[in-house]
Amino acid sequence: MRNYPSEVPVSSIGVSTPGAAADMRITRLFESMRPDLLRFALWLTRDRALAEDVVQESLLRAWRSREALKDPACSRAWLLTIVRREHARLYERKRLELVSLNDALAHEGGALLSRDDSDVHALRSAILQLPIEYREPLIMQVLGGFSVDEIARELSLSVSAVLTRLFRARNKLRTLYGLTPAPDGSGTEAPS
Amino acid sequence: MICADARQLIGAGPCVTSGELTQHLKDCDACAEFQLEMVALEANIRRALEEPPGVARGRRRVAAQPRWALAASIVLAVMATLAVWALRTDNSLAHEVVAHVVAEPQSWAGTDAVSDAALGDVLRKSGLILDATPYSVVYARSCWFRGHYVPHLVVRTAHSLATVLILRNETVDKRQSFHEDGLSGVIVPSAHGSIAVLAASSAQLDDLAERMRLAVRSQNVAK
Repeated sequence: MRNYPSEVPVSSIGVSTPGAAADMRITRLFESMRPDLLRFALWLTRDRALAEDVVQESLLRAWRSREALKDPACSRAWLLTIVRREHARLYERKRLELVSLNDALAHEGGALLSRDDSDVHALRSAILQLPIEYREPLIMQVLGGFSVDEIARELSLSVSAVLTRLFRARNKLRTLYGLTPAPDGSGTEAPS
Repeated sequence: MICADARQLIGAGPCVTSGELTQHLKDCDACAEFQLEMVALEANIRRALEEPPGVARGRRRVAAQPRWALAASIVLAVMATLAVWALRTDNSLAHEVVAHVVAEPQSWAGTDAVSDAALGDVLRKSGLILDATPYSVVYARSCWFRGHYVPHLVVRTAHSLATVLILRNETVDKRQSFHEDGLSGVIVPSAHGSIAVLAASSAQLDDLAERMRLAVRSQNVAK
């Protein structure tokens, strides 16, 4: 029985081999990104256990494909993209047993959300309740720093569809603040 | 550009500007007000997303094999602790820069170029002069940061707005990059302390930082 996977860098278990230093640098880099990845995954999945699994699988996948990461400066966007795809893959693999967030919120009360000042608390709740098609591009843009073009490529949408989704996401959040939603004249989304 | 298009663009990216949108905002008070509201909302969205949602552990797990973490965890924990200790001061500077910028969301709502006189006043307060840059400065304020007044500028690039803090009293050994609160940034060493540049996207940050580094001069050595 193996007590570590073959994918784990050998340098991390104390064996010195050629390339071990580079592997250790990559390992360190990936691990340093873990909090960011987990936060990103949590906002996508709304479920801690699932988010941890997504990050775990993503890091494993990233490690196997580490040769593809040519520029470490791009590692954050690269890893976030893998997390997003891993999350999407979950839904392709199987229909997950879904728990209605409204039910969960009603059942668990405020304990589901961290304590913040009331505005931000309400906003966090509202973001969590945004449909995934609006939540995902918003999180990619604000948390991930992806441009509209990058989001469009990643989600296989047209740029105008991404603009529409981002607009609608923020427009829904506007109402929280008692602001009048802007008229939504964007109609249906253009295909990619 | 009509108001509906302008509002969709603002809603899709309150801090992103284009020439056409900027022109529309100059002519349309209602859309300009809408942008101000959205910029303020954006600051709150960034705050809201910064902390992971405290969602409860789900009722089922999928593939919960801790395959990655087990073997490497001890070594990495030690290394991470050492790294955090070594980088503590620099990370703290980046964190404080981001916190300062996020706390001043109105800085991203500027559309008109700041007058030379107003910009000069802000820079003079820190003993600095700015040579001509290819960017239009749409916000300039002298801000109290880590015990000193520092110029807090927002410049308009071809595609978006970027924040520049000229940190005369903060030195960094080498370029640092960071990503926090949905903002990407770099802090680069300069002849006059360091310069922090932040934007919603990391594209062209280095180019902007380099141009600003070359443009900033000390009043003492100005000809």
